[in-house]
Amino acid sequence: MRRLAGLAAAALLCVTAACAPSNSNDSSSSSSGSKVTLSVWGWGPAENYQKMFDQYEKENPNVHIEARSFTAATEYDTILSTGLAGDSGPDLAWLRPGAQLQPLVEAGRLTPLTTEQVPGLKDFDKNVLRAATGDKDGKVYGVPFAVQTLQVVYNKKIFADNGIQPPKTWADMTAAADKLKANKIIPFAFGGKDDWVLPIAASIFGTSQWGGDAFLADVKAKKKKFTDPAFVAGIDELNKLKPYFPDNVAGVSYTDAQILFSSGKAAMYPGGLWELGFFGKNAPNVELGVFTPPAPAGGEGLLPGFTDGSYGVSAKSKHQAEALKFESWLATKQYGQLYTDTLEQLSAVPGVEPKDPLLKQVSTTFGEHGAAYFMNEFAYGNPSSQTVFSKALQEMLLGRITAQEAAARLDKSVATWL
Amino acid sequence: MALSGTRRRAAYLFVVPAFLLYSVFVVYPLFTGLTYSMFEWKGTLRSTFIGLSNYSHLFTEAFRNELLSALGHNFLLLAGTILVQNTLGLAFAVALFAVRRGKRALQTMFALPYLVNPLVIGYLWTLLLSPTFGPVNSLLRSAGLESLAMPWLGDPKSALLTVILINTWQWVGFPMLLFSAALGGIPPEFNEAARTDGASSWKVFWHITLPLLRPAMATVTILSFIGSMNAFALIYALGGSNGAPAGSTDVLGLLFYRTAFASGDVNAIGTSSALAVFMFAFIFGSTLVLQRVLRSRS
Repeated sequence: MRRLAGLAAAALLCVTAACAPSNSNDSSSSSSGSKVTLSVWGWGPAENYQKMFDQYEKENPNVHIEARSFTAATEYDTILSTGLAGDSGPDLAWLRPGAQLQPLVEAGRLTPLTTEQVPGLKDFDKNVLRAATGDKDGKVYGVPFAVQTLQVVYNKKIFADNGIQPPKTWADMTAAADKLKANKIIPFAFGGKDDWVLPIAASIFGTSQWGGDAFLADVKAKKKKFTDPAFVAGIDELNKLKPYFPDNVAGVSYTDAQILFSSGKAAMYPGGLWELGFFGKNAPNVELGVFTPPAPAGGEGLLPGFTDGSYGVSAKSKHQAEALKFESWLATKQYGQLYTDTLEQLSAVPGVEPKDPLLKQVSTTFGEHGAAYFMNEFAYGNPSSQTVFSKALQEMLLGRITAQEAAARLDKSVATWL
Repeated sequence: MALSGTRRRAAYLFVVPAFLLYSVFVVYPLFTGLTYSMFEWKGTLRSTFIGLSNYSHLFTEAFRNELLSALGHNFLLLAGTILVQNTLGLAFAVALFAVRRGKRALQTMFALPYLVNPLVIGYLWTLLLSPTFGPVNSLLRSAGLESLAMPWLGDPKSALLTVILINTWQWVGFPMLLFSAALGGIPPEFNEAARTDGASSWKVFWHITLPLLRPAMATVTILSFIGSMNAFALIYALGGSNGAPAGSTDVLGLLFYRTAFASGDVNAIGTSSALAVFMFAFIFGSTLVLQRVLRSRS
């Protein structure tokens, strides 16, 4: 038995040893002799990215891009911060937006980007770039790649069967929900057990109430507080919509809500744009539509969204020039188009038109009625204001506190760092 | 025991590998954790020495509230573990002691769940208890127990109790095995003598068996204390890193996880190291006291 194990170990060693040279030498052994390998770390499926990067390699034969993916999204931050601190880190990496980017910036792990090095940055929207900017030094550290929007996804067939149109007014929306409920269909597939979805839902139904970016700017300038009646009314919409959510909504998990929608038991799903990809794969028979909840006071609703991530350059990378050149390409329309077509996501590069009709609709709406997702702008502090407010919203849904009290908790938490 | 010079040298030689491993993997991290907690951190970069500031951050209002509520839940978990898990463990051990056939098979069955990773167990139970699709609630409904078909893990009133019960389901085999071993160590003459004097089996258990099990109980209690204070995996799998619903299952382990890995705070390493040192000092100190109290009794 022991001998067998020894043999197996020896075989394993042979295999790994045989593998090693072909892996590590492919840059130096190429005929040109000066081929540079740039490694890119991220949290998305690597093969999709490799497909896009192949395009760059075709145009830049002296560079090889190696995409590496860490699918465990929560561990990615730890892996990246350790990687960038040591010598085994990547040349480029996906960076989290806003608050979660700051530890890397303050540790000096990233190369700041200038518009001379990356000309494409000039055309980016200031709000989009803010997610890739250091809070203290105001420098840009990444080229944003994705924009996520938060809206309601609906099942077109259920809407048609019940004679419902995407709502034009708030009253339309609640009337549609009443009709669905009477026909034994859950109007909104939504669950509050995984509390990170709660600020998302609050912003989908409430952003029009508190008025989007102007309100957030006032809060940052300390002219207004989160206890403002407009904000309280906004998050209170979750309480008012409770009859249209599944029973025991605070006990329903994120996956349960997804299944309720994909199995056709529920007609609408308030969530992020990334859900389109999930439903497209897991419920290919469900024809999807999207709408932004109308403003309760009448008129078009605001569509909240945020920059999801950006490409940054490691300060320790030995190939700064090549990495910056690659960054410039990532800021071009060519990459933006490739991104949106390959991944069916909204690209953060300005002027990119998605081919997918749903994405196109979202992109147009976001251009006309977009607003910043409030939670990402206020996710600082330890305990983080996001954690505090997610929990407060959960307690609100459970009926333990009022919308006013939930808003007061956010206000108090924000006051510890603002 | 006197050892000759060469034998003593040989003895040290044998201790060296274990000592080195222990130093590298236990003593050194403990010590670095302590030093980390006295610095301000900028991401993974150690910045300036700030003494006890990280510790005082633990007691700022916002943090203190979370800390106290988490600690409270750790103690409720301990109480639940002692009352439910250890009592059941003792009951199973006593019942199995009388069993003649299939004792090993039953013991193995009771102990089996603790061979499974708590994360897996947590995930399975969230599926079983899901209020929308879970089989537990549909079973209760079809049995006419509509009022019991509730969101077990989604209601702050029942969530911690549910955690305690699932934890018991997983770990009950452990106190059972310890008590079984201790029961086997009690000389049967005591039992027989009491019986001859006319004691009922309940009296024998209460006045003879139970006092003789005290050392085992002390061990089980101390292990339950350490286990409850360090609880993490199962609770994380059941309620996520915020101790859902509404923080009703929040414990120190989750608070540490949030502080260190989920806050996005620039000084996360400093604050979380301080919390870790605090937790270590608290658990270590309490264990010493508990051990002394329990040992002196038995």
